Amino acid sequence: MEYALSVKDLRVSFYTRRGVFKALNGVNLELRRGEVLGVAGESGSGKSTTGLAIMGLLPRNAKVSSGSVLFDGRDLLAPLTSIRKFSTGRNESAIRKLHRELAPIRGKRISMVFQEPMTSLNPVLQVGYQIAETLVIHNPSLLASRKLARVRATREDTTALLKVIKENEGSETAVREFVESRHLKGLEEQALFIWRRNDINELRKERLILDLCCEKVGSTTKRLLESLEGGMGITKAPVLSRLLRRVLFKEGYRKAVEFLSTLGVPNPEKVVQMYPHELSGGMRQRIVIAIALINNPDVVIMDEPTSAVDVTVQAQILELVKDLKRRVNSSFIFISHDLSVLGEVSDRIAIMYGGRVVEVGPKEIVLKAPRHPYTTMLINAIPTLDGREIRGIEGEAPDMRNPPPGCIFNNRCPFAMDKCRKEEPPSYKVSEDHYVACFLQGGK
Amino acid sequence: METQKTEYEADRFREIKTSLSVFFSNKGAVVGLVIVLVYVVDALLVQFFPQALGLKHPYTLVSNYVNPVPQPPSASYPFGTTFPGVDLFTSILKAVRVDLGYSLFVVLLGAFIGTVLGVISAFAGGIVDEFVMRITDIFFSIPYLVLALAIGFVLGRTLDNMALALAIVWWPIYARYARGQALSIKEMTFVEAARASGSGGGKIMFRHILPNVLPPIFVQISLDLGTVVLVFSVLAFIGFIPNANVPELGYLASLGLNYVATAPWTVLFPGAAITLFALAVNLVGDGLRDVLDPRRRS
Amino acid sequence: MLIAARNLTKFFELRGGLTGKGAVQAVSDVDVEVREGEIVGVVGESGSGKSTLGRLLLGLIAPTSGEVLFDIPEELLQKYDEARSANDKKTMEEIASKYSITRKSGRELRALRRRMNMMFQDPYSSLNPRWRVEDIIMEPMVSTGYLTGNEARKRVRELLEEVGLPREFAYRYPHELSGGQRQRVALARSISTLPSFLVLDEPTSALDVSAQAQILQLLKRIRERFRIGLLLITHNIAVVSYMSDRIYVMYAGKVVEGGPKTSIISKPQHPYTVALISAVPGNSRGPRVILRGEPPNLVDPPKGCHFHPRCPMVMDNCGWTAKEVAEELEFLLRGRYYGMLKEGSKVVPQGELEILVEGAKAEEVRKVIEEEKEEVKSLRSIYEVREGNGGALVKLMRYDIPGMYRTDEGREVSCLIYRKT
Ligand SMILES: Nc1ncnc2c1ncn2[C@@H]1O[C@H](COP(=O)(O)OP(=O)(O)OP(=O)(O)O)[C@@H](O)[C@H]1O
Ligand SMILES: Nc1ncnc2c1ncn2[C@@H]1O[C@H](COP(=O)(O)OP(=O)(O)O)[C@@H](O)[C@H]1O
Ligand code: SF4
Ligand code: SF4
Ligand SMILES: [Mg+2]
Ligand SMILES: [Mg+2]
Repeated sequence: MEYALSVKDLRVSFYTRRGVFKALNGVNLELRRGEVLGVAGESGSGKSTTGLAIMGLLPRNAKVSSGSVLFDGRDLLAPLTSIRKFSTGRNESAIRKLHRELAPIRGKRISMVFQEPMTSLNPVLQVGYQIAETLVIHNPSLLASRKLARVRATREDTTALLKVIKENEGSETAVREFVESRHLKGLEEQALFIWRRNDINELRKERLILDLCCEKVGSTTKRLLESLEGGMGITKAPVLSRLLRRVLFKEGYRKAVEFLSTLGVPNPEKVVQMYPHELSGGMRQRIVIAIALINNPDVVIMDEPTSAVDVTVQAQILELVKDLKRRVNSSFIFISHDLSVLGEVSDRIAIMYGGRVVEVGPKEIVLKAPRHPYTTMLINAIPTLDGREIRGIEGEAPDMRNPPPGCIFNNRCPFAMDKCRKEEPPSYKVSEDHYVACFLQGGK
Repeated sequence: METQKTEYEADRFREIKTSLSVFFSNKGAVVGLVIVLVYVVDALLVQFFPQALGLKHPYTLVSNYVNPVPQPPSASYPFGTTFPGVDLFTSILKAVRVDLGYSLFVVLLGAFIGTVLGVISAFAGGIVDEFVMRITDIFFSIPYLVLALAIGFVLGRTLDNMALALAIVWWPIYARYARGQALSIKEMTFVEAARASGSGGGKIMFRHILPNVLPPIFVQISLDLGTVVLVFSVLAFIGFIPNANVPELGYLASLGLNYVATAPWTVLFPGAAITLFALAVNLVGDGLRDVLDPRRRS
Repeated sequence: MLIAARNLTKFFELRGGLTGKGAVQAVSDVDVEVREGEIVGVVGESGSGKSTLGRLLLGLIAPTSGEVLFDIPEELLQKYDEARSANDKKTMEEIASKYSITRKSGRELRALRRRMNMMFQDPYSSLNPRWRVEDIIMEPMVSTGYLTGNEARKRVRELLEEVGLPREFAYRYPHELSGGQRQRVALARSISTLPSFLVLDEPTSALDVSAQAQILQLLKRIRERFRIGLLLITHNIAVVSYMSDRIYVMYAGKVVEGGPKTSIISKPQHPYTVALISAVPGNSRGPRVILRGEPPNLVDPPKGCHFHPRCPMVMDNCGWTAKEVAEELEFLLRGRYYGMLKEGSKVVPQGELEILVEGAKAEEVRKVIEEEKEEVKSLRSIYEVREGNGGALVKLMRYDIPGMYRTDEGREVSCLIYRKT
């Protein structure tokens, strides 16, 4: 099986004045291509820390004592694990190195949606600018070719393009082949986007597609765009870079409008001109999702994207994620403390407790036939519409400064045995794809 | 219950220890604190045990008209002397008491009036708020030094009156600051919870809002102490406050003004004493800010 | 009756602003009731006025109009309601002057505070960070003169045990507690004077499921023990369904449906309630209704039924106005029926119920409407299209404003579908 991403035996501690908190104690997770992996667990179980570690966004007081995050054949966390003796200074420089290494990956191949939509948007920039910015940083050549395609295309080209689209009923491969044969790369997504809109009639669509041509730009801009398309970075020359960036941002807005409309944002032309505080919570969350997805990343981590919004908006967001799963070929890690939310969107579910994955398996099995005592108790704590009795999990989460020896759940587990207080339970395979870290499952 | 309490006190102690360790991890703040302590100890000694420093006339400058021309630093006069034959070292020791005292008076009075008015204004809102804020506007529209000079002129140009004048121009800063803080705290739900619990306006203002406003005010106070010492000595230096031999740093610096080309130490040492103090309280203020900032605590 | 609100309305005046004055219609014309020892759930999306309703009931803010009758005998409440339907202002005034908390003097209100309290959503800002848990829990007792000094301190220990916290937590500060523990402290504070009415504003929204389960169980136990009437505000239907005896559903400042929990959950009647219940994750009954669009702007709420722009069941008389219909018509004419509207022509609303489609023929417009009626529901409100001055004149029917209609046993719905003709 090929994985989009895999986390192996990840151990992370936070060094604070109050002691060393062992937040992750050997996390193992595999994310398969194209799946949604749900991660559940109570507050403090290490869900966000896992997400941040994958993104390489750990704070400077975090020490990665072992483990790896394998993505695309390399260990993303290598600079951090190589530190022997912890000190903030040493860690800080390692993190700086990590940031440099990950910069081309972050936001482009792996991206993250944070818990609080307001804090991850810049309040003083238009949302369109913020979406365009991710494109300009990671994918300026796409923007350049989109723009250049419209400059190069002649009326004759777009007429032919329209014919291709009509004949093949909007098939993506046919359109792609056509634009490639005419050296108009970048035109296909614009044309297909128009074609797939359902709020305007055929005639209007045809007009819009035909109009994707004959744009005029100054010769300097054109040269700049061409060098960008040819694989050069954005020029550093003072005046020229301003000029180029202006053109790119404008194109970025254009793409943002297209993308937002595919996310079901009504009136996207207006929305891109707005500031975050002018938008409702659900809309903001969609903008954040748009920023995370616009570069078509391989892996998207969503940290409690629905916890700060209410039911109706939550339903909209969940619908959106389900829809995205069908349409884009990214893999998702969806973090939530609410298993019923995960039941809606995930393919597989991993349950975390005390910085460890205690159970992982296909959604139906984990929800209907859980094998770890903690999972069962977590499910019993969720109120449902039928008003059945719920039961909280007795006791407090363990003090992560010195977690109990053996199974980390032993102080709250009704089945705890002597063995549980001495040894750490390994992960047992209880059925196809279903793993449980509990001695009750051993010997099978 | 008692044992629980002591156990708990131990816990509290840990909290204080954390605060101290945050403060002490800021090297500048520690240096600042040491300097400030030296000044404070000096001021207290001069006030209560002048003989410990060997000062015979702790509250006046002692001139020596036999040899009024400034003498360079030497074994008997470590900082040299200034016109008219005043020993700079002992005079600076005496002057610190005066400057520290006046600056404390100005800042504390200003902070007290300002904070109380600011909190009331934020809590009452409406006309009261409008009124207090317009008054602070008036104060802010005139440069504070000009205003202080004007008030000092009206009250009479003595050290005491000048301190009062400075306090009068100083409170609006605190009123604004405290009001801003109080407004944001007023929006916290615990204020509404207090109202739902039946607490009246006075209790909410002084037991809920005020304690949450004070810590940042303390930081501001420590920063302002330096500024006021500076302003005060500048006023004395330019001769705005006529002086009858009261040891005051600005006045001390002004004494040797006619000799500054040949005897630079006459201005240098009093000036350094002022600057050092301003610098030190600023460093302490930074340290305090760290202690109060939860992000720096982790 | 423990507490009953009648025609309760709260408009928050907007100050300044570019558009001049206006008011946020946070709660408009709401009737709710809570009986002794009853748990009443209030659900609705964010901004629907739930918290404002809670604060009104406790007299923490003054209503724009309407009454909050506290501890009123059933007969008198009935008499009040009869007087209200007969528009007998005098009797209403007589009863209100005696029982309405908005008419109480400062001293009477202070005495009332002992009998009602509130618990808030945010466990982080609802406790004063500079107070010890002991002082926090004591506050209502001291402020209302219920208990003072050592007696109050002793009671704090009992309350801590009651909410499942160790006694030594009395000396802690809030920042040393977890979210769930803070909510327990907040609960201990709100029940410290043994009130008979408690408003719980999203008490578990900031907690994770296992802490939520603990708090909910605790609330149920406390209700049993002290027979407190609870108003539970939340946007989580599953929580309400687990906890409450009766439910009110709010939308845009109005109660749109109210009644016993079991019957509302199993058979929701108002289209908004239907959507809300179908949106609960993990709910497998019936098809999921995803509400499109945004909650309404409460400064200028939609006419007729506030829910009509988003209602999946919307009818022709639900509140469509010329402005809304003109917008959709123009969208169609510029999009799907591109070409029908000439360059520079517009679709202009004229007054509340007439629209002029500039330069278009009545025949053509009529055809568009016929074709799109199924999908674009606002077009259903059009009853006539005729040639007008400079284009086609489209006329809308007059809309109705839904009242509260009694349906089943103890149930009320504010939706025109249930209007008995
Ligand atoms: N920056 C930090 N400094 C110190 N400890 C931290 C830090 N970030 C996280 N932790 C600790 O690491 C553990 C896991 O935290 P994490 O935020 O991943 O939990 P979570 O499952 O996401 O919880 P929540 O549902 O509250 O977001 C907790 O014990 C937490 O207190
Ligand atoms: N003090 C206030 N001033 C102005 N508008 C307010 C105020 N309090 C609440 N509102 C408005 O009233 C409406 C209902 O608010 P609220 O009762 O807090 O909703 P909910 O609790 O359902 O989220 C919202 O539109 C909110 O913005
Ligand atoms: S290993 Fe033991 S303590 Fe841990 S969950 Fe299983 S039975 Fe419980
Ligand atoms: S009255 Fe009923 S049908 Fe009409 S819009 Fe309102 S909820 Fe929908
Ligand atoms: Mg988290
Ligand atoms: Mg609310």
